[in-house]
Amino acid sequence: MPTPEITSGPRAPLRRVARDPTLRRRLIARDERALGELIDAASPWLLAVVQAMLSDRDEAEDVVMEVYAVVWNRVHETSDDYQGLMPWLLRIARNRAIDRLRRRKRTRLRLERLARTRELGLAAAPPAEPDEAGAPGWHVHEAVHGALGDLPAEQLACVQLAYFQGRTHSEIASELGIPMGTVKTRLRLAYDKLRIALAPIKDWVL
Amino acid sequence: MNAHDWFVENRTAFVGGGLDADEHRSFLEHLDRCPECARAVATLDRELAWLPMGVAPVAPRPGFSRTVLERVLHGRRGWRGRVGAIAAAAALLLAVGVWGVGRQERAALRADLAAAEQRYAALQDTLSIIQGAGRIIHARIAMQQYQGAMLIFDDPVTHRWNVVVHGLPEAPAGEVYQLWFVTETGLRRAAEVRCDGKRPAFVTLEMPDAATRILGAVLTMEAESALTTDAPQGMRLANVEL
Repeated sequence: MPTPEITSGPRAPLRRVARDPTLRRRLIARDERALGELIDAASPWLLAVVQAMLSDRDEAEDVVMEVYAVVWNRVHETSDDYQGLMPWLLRIARNRAIDRLRRRKRTRLRLERLARTRELGLAAAPPAEPDEAGAPGWHVHEAVHGALGDLPAEQLACVQLAYFQGRTHSEIASELGIPMGTVKTRLRLAYDKLRIALAPIKDWVL
Repeated sequence: MNAHDWFVENRTAFVGGGLDADEHRSFLEHLDRCPECARAVATLDRELAWLPMGVAPVAPRPGFSRTVLERVLHGRRGWRGRVGAIAAAAALLLAVGVWGVGRQERAALRADLAAAEQRYAALQDTLSIIQGAGRIIHARIAMQQYQGAMLIFDDPVTHRWNVVVHGLPEAPAGEVYQLWFVTETGLRRAAEVRCDGKRPAFVTLEMPDAATRILGAVLTMEAESALTTDAPQGMRLANVEL
């Protein structure tokens, strides 16, 4: 399975974690140090996406803790033909965040949260600090962030609502004041572009 | 569009979001019986797997990793859990405090209830005298600004009187309304009657003794300084003869 080109210097932790073929097996073997390594490597990304979705740091930490609990207790259920642990963690984190969002029935708060998320997350990510650039997976972030940034604003808005807020097509159409067919079209176009843009990193392992 | 076309069209939505709960559930069921869609969805899932990492990383707070390890490995609570435990303990203390305050309040309520029961018993007693009165004596009060009446309910069974005075204003400063028994040997101080000019004043009196014959009653206005005297010195407002 190909791995990305990894430079020396601040990305050393990435190389150590990403190229560790035994991380999953060590977790299955109940290696607590392996769990510590995974937490150190994955937490910034899990916290980022969950916090961007929930706009609540404390709740985001709770969700991320739940994610690690799931990983620790169910890692043995993953198949050998796995893409790496990180996509699995991200999927669990996103799904749990969406579950929490769906529990929040108050539309007004949702809209406020959306406004904050738009500022916080995707279109206006803060400039990379030196320590962030050294975080494992930073180059993945750069690739994804760049791909998202290349989307037309109207498509990006739909992706934000659907992917990062768990909204349905009809909810998005209602919120943006556009026909549901337009929402579906924009999402389809956006994901087609993203699939192409993210193809180089799709087999990256963490 | 046949049924399968709908699933093909919505593969991306299944992975990337947009389906409602029923549609999502329907799609999951379809994947169990459609290898083609299952493969396509798996590919899409892989291609979009890193999408969440488009959000800039957030540095965990100090101690976060240790907290996660403690919670996952040992089921221990993190700092927020400990705060929760402290909050629970505080809530328990508060509950104990509330219980203590509640205990005090219960004691106060019991005292209030006892006082109310006493007043209720007194009222029942007063009414029993009125209802059981062997005779009722009425006397009009008409003296200067003092215009009213006095009713005496005489209960021969309990040897008590219930005296009702109405229409009189509050006694002037330094003075009181004083009721006297009229006996064969002279007047005997009975009780002070406190009038407020608004409601009738009720007084329940024990008769002096069985051997003393009561001939009547007198209501006077006495100076407070004369309350110890054995004979009325002030103005007579009412005079009742039995």
